[in-house]
Amino acid sequence: MAGRLNQSSPYYIDNRKRVADLQKAMEREGLDAYVGTRPRTLSFLLDAFIPWRSYVVIPRTGEPILHTFIVDATRVGDETWLSTDNVRAYAPMGGQDPISLITACLTEELGISRGRLGVEDGIATYTAEGNLSHYEYTQLEAALPGWTLVNAHHLVDELSIIKDAGTVARFREASRIVDVGQRAVFEALSNGGWKHLTETVVGGIAALAMRKEGSVSEWNFAGLNEISSGYRTALGACTPPTTKKLAQGEPLMVDLHSMFHLALGDHSHNYLIGPATKRQRRHADNFVDLVQTVLDHYKEGATPSSLAQVMMDRAESLDCSDFLLPGCEHGIGLFGDEWRIGHAMDGPFPYWTNPDHVYQEGEMVICAMQYASLEEGIGFRYENPILIGKRGCEPLSKYPLLIEEIL
Amino acid sequence: MNEKLMYLGKSWRDEGLKLLQSEIDPQKMHNVTTSMVDIYEHGPEGKEFFLFLKCEDGKVVAFETGEVPAPEAEFIIRGPYSVFASITRGELSSTRALMTGKLRLKGNMAKAVRLAPLADRVNKVLSMIPTDYREV
Repeated sequence: MAGRLNQSSPYYIDNRKRVADLQKAMEREGLDAYVGTRPRTLSFLLDAFIPWRSYVVIPRTGEPILHTFIVDATRVGDETWLSTDNVRAYAPMGGQDPISLITACLTEELGISRGRLGVEDGIATYTAEGNLSHYEYTQLEAALPGWTLVNAHHLVDELSIIKDAGTVARFREASRIVDVGQRAVFEALSNGGWKHLTETVVGGIAALAMRKEGSVSEWNFAGLNEISSGYRTALGACTPPTTKKLAQGEPLMVDLHSMFHLALGDHSHNYLIGPATKRQRRHADNFVDLVQTVLDHYKEGATPSSLAQVMMDRAESLDCSDFLLPGCEHGIGLFGDEWRIGHAMDGPFPYWTNPDHVYQEGEMVICAMQYASLEEGIGFRYENPILIGKRGCEPLSKYPLLIEEIL
Repeated sequence: MNEKLMYLGKSWRDEGLKLLQSEIDPQKMHNVTTSMVDIYEHGPEGKEFFLFLKCEDGKVVAFETGEVPAPEAEFIIRGPYSVFASITRGELSSTRALMTGKLRLKGNMAKAVRLAPLADRVNKVLSMIPTDYREV
């Protein structure tokens, strides 16, 4: 029992209420049960780190039943709020494969011989989204005659979009931890310290500092702490670190990730390893200006397209729009919920952010901006979880927004 | 004892209970409290049989055999009579039988996996009984 929190904890989340809310939504949509497979669903409902392929069966009433990989079932049982009996293991053994277990759970244990089963299907840029595979779908369909499988992930997505107090508190702490990592990197770089460092070592310095503060993972699947320097800062929005040495006159991008009770810290800070040229300084000043401009416009009622317009208008006035990647945010929630903005499938491209999604108070996104001049070998990235409010937003990382010249 | 006892018969069951209670150290059974029933499909004369075992605090308190219906148990293992006979003879481990799909388990695998060595201990004791495994 490592991870359960009592109600007096600022990080407490009422997980039973989340399940009850989902069950009410299931009833409204005529679902007799729901099988969740996405990490975002498992995190949101079970409040535990569940990385292996898992299936949570949610009946109309009563406690969910999780089927997870045998190698990890005992740990998950120790960390989730579910009763131990409701954390089951699957294994390559007769009657213990996932399809047999889900089928027996629905038809024998819950006693539902036919009905409508909510499942999670779709597409995501995020590889680890965890939708039901075609194989699983066809196997379940064959094993459950009389059942209709219905894509119903929107129920969980809708419930998870407005962040409750416990979730926000966890994100604030994850962001505080990331800021400690950023300070540790700054100290390591200062006074010529950068001369002895590679990108991978910078990532490690940050990781150690954040782990000391209680982070349990540099959760990002695109390279953990993403560190890039020199021309690599201009290669786009995915920069797993390499053994490249930091070098004089080059930019450095430090994109750190922490995890605290499944909440995800994510803050990218940028440097110029001096001496910087006037042109580099100009790019850096432009970027800081653009980020501040966009942050100033996040509030209830704003939309991704209105924010992108603000960003591009300002970039035009600064004469740097050629260097800006379109878009200024991505979604965020507890572990596994990392990409899509909003929950409805009402945009021009299903499963992509609806540019006209209207932000509400209590939503969170990662404000994410990428600036790159590949020809000049320079780029910057800003990422910070922000909490949308009625009249503005709260950037959760409090690390100063500036691009220092390090000597 | 030289006389062979009929597999799953009354005398075999009585001998099994006696051996299980005398040979199995509750501490080696981790003082577990659980119950398990094996359902033997396609047995002699096409019948289905069961073997039921109940432990309390590691001590075997019930051991029953007979034709189905079987008593309720925490774990149900189902498979052909011939496979269970191979396990009792010590020719096949119950874990391998499950891993190859020859047997099907119902019950919480997370707990069952910790009980697998205990099941092997039970089978080892039962294999000591001179048994007439009826052909099927």
